[in-house]
Amino acid sequence: MKKILIVDDDPNILDYMTSLLEDNGYRTFTALDVREGLEIAKKEIPDLITLDLEMPDEWGPRFYRKMSQEKSLKNIPIIVISGLSGGDHAVGKAVAFLSKPFDRDELLKIVKETLHV
Amino acid sequence: MSDAILIIDQDTSHARALGIYLERKRVENHMASAPEEAMVLFGKIGAQIVLADPGFPDTVVVALLKRIKCAHPRVQIIIMTPPDQFDQAMAKLKSDAVHYLLKPVKSTALDMALYQARSWISLKRRFESTEKKYKALRHTQNLYQQLFDEVPCYISVQDNSFRLTATNKMFKRDFGDEIGSHCYAVYKHRGSRCSQCPVADTFADGNSHSTEEVVTSQSGRQRHVLTWTAPIRNGEDEITQVMEMSTDITEIRQLQDHLTSLGLMIGSMSHGVKGMLTALDGGIYQLETGLAKNDEVRTHRAFGQVKEMAARIRKMVLEILHYAKSRELRYQSIDISEMADEVVGDAMAIASKHGVELKANISPDLGLIDVDPTWLQAALVNFMENAIDACIYDRSKQEHIVTFDAFDLAAGQICFIITDNGLGMDRETREKMFTLFFTSKGSQGTGLGLFIANQVIQQHGGSITVESEPKQGSRFHICLPRTKNDPSRLAPAGGQNTTGVKNEIDDKK
Repeated sequence: MKKILIVDDDPNILDYMTSLLEDNGYRTFTALDVREGLEIAKKEIPDLITLDLEMPDEWGPRFYRKMSQEKSLKNIPIIVISGLSGGDHAVGKAVAFLSKPFDRDELLKIVKETLHV
Repeated sequence: MSDAILIIDQDTSHARALGIYLERKRVENHMASAPEEAMVLFGKIGAQIVLADPGFPDTVVVALLKRIKCAHPRVQIIIMTPPDQFDQAMAKLKSDAVHYLLKPVKSTALDMALYQARSWISLKRRFESTEKKYKALRHTQNLYQQLFDEVPCYISVQDNSFRLTATNKMFKRDFGDEIGSHCYAVYKHRGSRCSQCPVADTFADGNSHSTEEVVTSQSGRQRHVLTWTAPIRNGEDEITQVMEMSTDITEIRQLQDHLTSLGLMIGSMSHGVKGMLTALDGGIYQLETGLAKNDEVRTHRAFGQVKEMAARIRKMVLEILHYAKSRELRYQSIDISEMADEVVGDAMAIASKHGVELKANISPDLGLIDVDPTWLQAALVNFMENAIDACIYDRSKQEHIVTFDAFDLAAGQICFIITDNGLGMDRETREKMFTLFFTSKGSQGTGLGLFIANQVIQQHGGSITVESEPKQGSRFHICLPRTKNDPSRLAPAGGQNTTGVKNEIDDKK
């Protein structure tokens, strides 16, 4: 079962994405901030990460930078899911950029394509 | 006055001899043998030095000399007298004469006496001119001091360790007479210098710098100020001090805030709105799939989530409406205990969801209060939600508790105390927490919640006191007059609303 790490500061959105992704056959982990996200990523080595950009304390792009410095993590694909407009370039190597509120079919399609290439 | 010398001597041949001597030295001189003649001549030639033999036993000349000295203190009198009258002359004229010579006068003694008299006159002239300049200087200094004091700005002069060395009247009025204290302590109640400091910049480059700051006066009132700095240099052109001039732009800011805020608000809240809509989508998804799978737990949870999101969106829309339109309060007499119960009920849903314990202690018979119930309740719920959020965001403790006390004070006031053991606030957050669009909750906050809650309490004539310590938690003490016409509603300007702020929370939502 493919593992997906969801990083978002809103517990309601974590709840939503967990249900959505688990209903579609993925295993999920959640993190409310950058620090927690990195910890779980190192431990679980997920197959995909979804990342919010605007979070208290540390921003999503910092998560991406720190992650890129870890050998074991740097090739994990990232989908940015954010309420910020024009954030497309904040995480250069993201496989996709979804704007909140996102279309769940589109998310599932991108996840599927990313994980089954 | 001329440099001429008036010689008064009844002994005309002696006088003439002196005159010839002086003439040879190119000193203008005039002679008089009788007092009347001397008086007329003195007025005519404007002599500065009078060389006189009193001619005892007659005292007419002595009287004349005293009159001259009294009317013209600068005139120098040199007495020449026969040896037997020397003591008498001194006894009569004392210090009215600058020198006493024995007759017949020796030329060297005369030269020396004249030299001394002239030196004295020139000293006196210099002294008078210096005195005049000093007066002018003092006048100018007074003028500048008045300007410094009366300028309707806060002016301070600071040394390179940011200590105040001079402050003007307005500064002293609002911030106290704090010579020697640090600027950052007086203006911002900080323990160290601000990271962005225009004074430091001016010390570094000698240029004028400008910043906009929020400062807190002695009474706790917050002021928005526009600050300009200017270097003060010493004789060697080194910057020894910097002057800082701060103009109070609080009112302009308030106006501007209102004018520009609508557009800003949409920008600053769009992220929060998007998050809420996404979470609402989530609730709907869970509800749909819960129903489809006949999963009662999921359906139930989803319903709670949809409800919470609807409430959050409703609240945000209400805040925007409130902010967009300054509205009059619609007073009603309502039962306080009932309203307090409702506030706790609203907060309970969120608290229990996040495992935060909520303890309410509401006196049962608080009676009636005149308030706008819609807005007061919204404000109180906002304080409660902030307290709960402060707990949710605090990962340093496992057990979190929020308490809500409602009680009455004998003074016809109803008080609410809301405490939490969550994140707490540092001084800066405390001071900014009621500021429009300030939030410490990232995308979850709009920066409107506490701003409006504070405004609502203020409009009701109430006061808010806040105590908070980082990592310890916060305590909001809110007091409201029970009746609308209570004179205590006419709270003094800068009343306690933001005044008593000893700590802060975030005004998130």
